[in-house]
Amino acid sequence: MRRTLLVLTAVLAALSLSLPGAHAERKLRVVATIPDLKSLTEAVGGDLVEVDSLTRGTQNFHEAEVRPSMMLKLRRADALIENGVELDTWADVAVTGANNANIIRGSAGRIEISRGIQLLEVPTTRVDRSMGDVHPLGNPHFSLDPGLAPIITQNIVDGLSRLAPDNRPAFEKNRQAFLQKLDGEMDRWTKLMEPVRGGKVVVYHPDFIYLLTRFGLVQVGTLEDRPGIPPSPQHLVQIIRQMKAEQVKVILVEPWNDLKLAERVAAEVGGAKALVMANSVGAVKGADNYIAAIDYNLKTLAQVLK
Amino acid sequence: MRVLALIFITLCTALTPAIAAAQDAAELRRQIEQLQKQLQSVTDRLQRLEAQPPPTPTPAAAPGAAPPPPGAPPPSAIDLARPRQPFSLYQQRGSGQLLFDMGIAGDFVGNITQRNVARAGGGTFAGQENRFFPREVELSLFGQIDPYASAVVRIEAGEEGRGQETGVTLAEAYLTLLTLPFGTQARLGQVRNRFGWSNEVHEHDLPWVDRPNVMRNFLGREGLQEKGVELTLVPDLPFYIEALAGIFNGDNATAFGRGTLQHPLATGRLRTFFELGDEHAIQLGMSVASGQTDDRNRSTILGWEWRYKYRPDGWLHPLITLTGEALYSLRKADVGVDLDGDGTIDQVDKRQRNHWGWYTGLEVQPFRRWAGGVRYDWSQYPINPGWEWAIEPYVSFWPSEFLRFRLAYKHTDRSPQTRDAFNLNDSSARKVDELLFQASFILGAHPAHPF
Repeated sequence: MRRTLLVLTAVLAALSLSLPGAHAERKLRVVATIPDLKSLTEAVGGDLVEVDSLTRGTQNFHEAEVRPSMMLKLRRADALIENGVELDTWADVAVTGANNANIIRGSAGRIEISRGIQLLEVPTTRVDRSMGDVHPLGNPHFSLDPGLAPIITQNIVDGLSRLAPDNRPAFEKNRQAFLQKLDGEMDRWTKLMEPVRGGKVVVYHPDFIYLLTRFGLVQVGTLEDRPGIPPSPQHLVQIIRQMKAEQVKVILVEPWNDLKLAERVAAEVGGAKALVMANSVGAVKGADNYIAAIDYNLKTLAQVLK
Repeated sequence: MRVLALIFITLCTALTPAIAAAQDAAELRRQIEQLQKQLQSVTDRLQRLEAQPPPTPTPAAAPGAAPPPPGAPPPSAIDLARPRQPFSLYQQRGSGQLLFDMGIAGDFVGNITQRNVARAGGGTFAGQENRFFPREVELSLFGQIDPYASAVVRIEAGEEGRGQETGVTLAEAYLTLLTLPFGTQARLGQVRNRFGWSNEVHEHDLPWVDRPNVMRNFLGREGLQEKGVELTLVPDLPFYIEALAGIFNGDNATAFGRGTLQHPLATGRLRTFFELGDEHAIQLGMSVASGQTDDRNRSTILGWEWRYKYRPDGWLHPLITLTGEALYSLRKADVGVDLDGDGTIDQVDKRQRNHWGWYTGLEVQPFRRWAGGVRYDWSQYPINPGWEWAIEPYVSFWPSEFLRFRLAYKHTDRSPQTRDAFNLNDSSARKVDELLFQASFILGAHPAHPF
């Protein structure tokens, strides 16, 4: 009888440990689709969350390969934070393979941060694939625009608070502290970019339109023929001609794009430079977090355009 | 005294509007001056803006969708953080907008081979030798049914044989229950079974023009497609492992064929995955399918799979992909025995037929648009004696993500024992040389490919 009671007690203890409520104080396990969102979630969540990213900064987020290691990360996640606007639709395949009901589409743990963002390059005419890999909802590369960080972090706070309502004040406090810091940086960045306002750049892929517009720079063209379509020789001839005519001296390149091609174009233009930019946190050395990535980009632009 | 009071009241009444009017005039002057200052400020700002270069030429940009214009002071993060109306979605859904995704994949193949191979029907696309034809044009519909389940429907059209009408079939139709407990998920309906790596992959998504010989020999030209239910479990472990168990009718005529749940086809699979740093990744798996043939004999197929990818950091595509599978078939077959040598079968014995086969393929993709590779096949036949080997080098070209062309050469060599199996019209297909061509496209939505 005593042995039975002991066994029962042990089983009950084991069960109670495995029940969800048993670890009321445990951190929320959050997975972000891209590193920018990981960095922002770390800023907002502080010690209350542990965050992982499905991709690295050096990857092209349009074409991330769905690996079972993504499913492993998602298997235990309480929340999945996604960019939306068709940038990370591949996450659906990873979620399906993870067998985790917490993060399926429509669940409380699925947090999309594009809600409330006023998107750029929203097509106003009929679109089809003859225009390349166009996004019918608008350009999805908005996460590194510091002016949109308040909205993005608000979405993250709202999402995390759905899962841990008691922690909302703490999330909000972290967010305010982060935004205050960002506000200070924003003043510095505005002064830094003031002398080069109106500067013209060419980009490889339209990843930087939000940042450029925010600081008054002008994107005069793309090396890609159309979004996602590798440049054709005819297009390159045209863009070289345009760069010469408009005296554009900078080509912005993502780490995953063809830097050598951009350098060849720059050499052809004469006096122009091809620069690898941080299209995401972790994309280049020194861009280890959200503020550092923006800082890297703006310092690079300010230096080359002056 | 009363008179004095009356005079005082009268004076007060008369003078009050005058004082107020004087005050109003002063206030108005002040406001006008303020407005003049504001107007001057706006004019100055406008002049500054006009002096700047034109705005970013983004042809498709929605008016008013941009962040504040360059001249405006940057918004304070704290200002933007103030409470506001609930967010709206980035785009209003119009009436009639589909609530699911839809896509079309087209796959056309052509092949040129020797005349004797065509007569014998011994080419890779048996009955379609020396032809160009639509192998698979697939309409895919997929999306969430409700918060608990998703569904996929694939309708396929393709030319089955020379001179035949293009047939339309239901390739797949299943629902997935997403919210089951303990890390489980169930898939019900008609599915391409998750048996090995390539069986689940559709024709147009394969890295080769054709399915590997061993898969076609042991599972039929279309692979293993069954009706039933599959349950997967991804346990909460520090490493990735997926366990799968399924029960199906067993309709596949090549490997099973009994087609009843009273003697169902049972399937299972274990799959794991390792990453060696960020650049190297390996997936390993084991599968089993066991059912009965239409002559009520037990048939069991064991499968092993491996897939390795090397993707240098920052690359959009893998540089090296190594794929392989091996199948081992344990099958009982009815064999007629002539006991007295009079040419008639006196009894039917059950004989064990254990046969196997494998393939491995290497693909190298040094450029975004170009890839080249080679696949080697070696396979016995599930019941018949003999074996075949084949080698297939190929090159693939992608003008864009949605369009691909592939050219391949395939040499197949069959052992002498197979003479009776490939001898239609008194021809022989023991040695087959084929030039294969493939054109594939995707229209609309297409889900991302798993590893």
